[in-house]
Amino acid sequence: MTTHSRRLEVVAARWILGATFLYLGAVKALDPVGFLKLAHQFEVLSTPPAVNFVAAVLPWFEIFCGVLLILGVKPRATATLQGILLAGFTTLVVLRALALHQAFGTSFCAISFDCGCGTGEVNVCMKLVENTALMILTAVVALIPSGTWCLTSEDEPVRRS
Amino acid sequence: MAKMLQDSVLIVVLGTVLGLAANAVSPRGLSLTRDYFGGTPGKVLRAESGSAVQSGSQGTDAARPATDGSTGTDQKGEPSHTKHGLPLATHEQVADWFRDPSYAQQKIVFIDARDEAHYAEKHIPGAYPFDHYHPDRYIANVLAAAQLADRIVVYCHGGDCEDSELAFQDLVALGVPESKLVIYGGGITEWVNRKMPVATGPDRQP
Repeated sequence: MTTHSRRLEVVAARWILGATFLYLGAVKALDPVGFLKLAHQFEVLSTPPAVNFVAAVLPWFEIFCGVLLILGVKPRATATLQGILLAGFTTLVVLRALALHQAFGTSFCAISFDCGCGTGEVNVCMKLVENTALMILTAVVALIPSGTWCLTSEDEPVRRS
Repeated sequence: MAKMLQDSVLIVVLGTVLGLAANAVSPRGLSLTRDYFGGTPGKVLRAESGSAVQSGSQGTDAARPATDGSTGTDQKGEPSHTKHGLPLATHEQVADWFRDPSYAQQKIVFIDARDEAHYAEKHIPGAYPFDHYHPDRYIANVLAAAQLADRIVVYCHGGDCEDSELAFQDLVALGVPESKLVIYGGGITEWVNRKMPVATGPDRQP
């Protein structure tokens, strides 16, 4: 793999991630009450201010990170943060699906629900595949230094002449 | 690594500030301190089949006794109370109230507990909007109508929508006598499925 093609792959990963987070964040930001109801259903946060804070701020944080990725501003740190968030969300989705599976005996991959991701009701196995793909892309952007088409400089391997 | 950490902290701080600012100026913004779900004890799990079980603690609100004193159903076997113990009306009862001349005289009032967009899309003709999540705009109109009414029917989408129950409890907290209030469990979904008339647009929006 040439350095040039690797850089283009990182740029592509950055733009796909950025556009995805921008879109998903916007969907949630346009309906904060809907996102609040879903966040409440997951029962991860027990106090109203905590649930309200997440519902109010997280969509805009996703939009902010999406813009940073597209413009190439601190992309490695941004991708790392989004990777951590994705890992957390994916864990919650799995736990909720397992709870439904145990409660009703429904086959795990037959379970569908609105995970609050901004895509409406989704099949849990498809959602896991999607999130895994997104996490791979965040790893690519976070781990491979590339300043190609970035507004801020990123660490690049030093090339000896 | 230190630089990555520094950058991450900066992004989190800036993103949080941006989020708080956007929420503060947005007309759809949420209150950070309000307990939006304070009146709904218990938790519900739902599967694709649409059936529901209740799990976890029941909270501090005691369920109200069923009208028949035993199974929580009326004489036709339909549920008489919601899962949180609030009184339910059947579609037949709600349709009768809608057709009653008292409805035109505002002795019977319908309250739509969905958000503004869904209300404008379609609602039961003459219903007053009341959004539990942004109630300030609607309180004056709704309380004025509630004071004159003998019967107040609260509805939302139907099914597992809890907004009608939350609105019910808001109205009780605002001083509306609980004996006047009832929930139309089937909601706008059943209303439309039964080919009942609907209205669109702002209608009774303040």
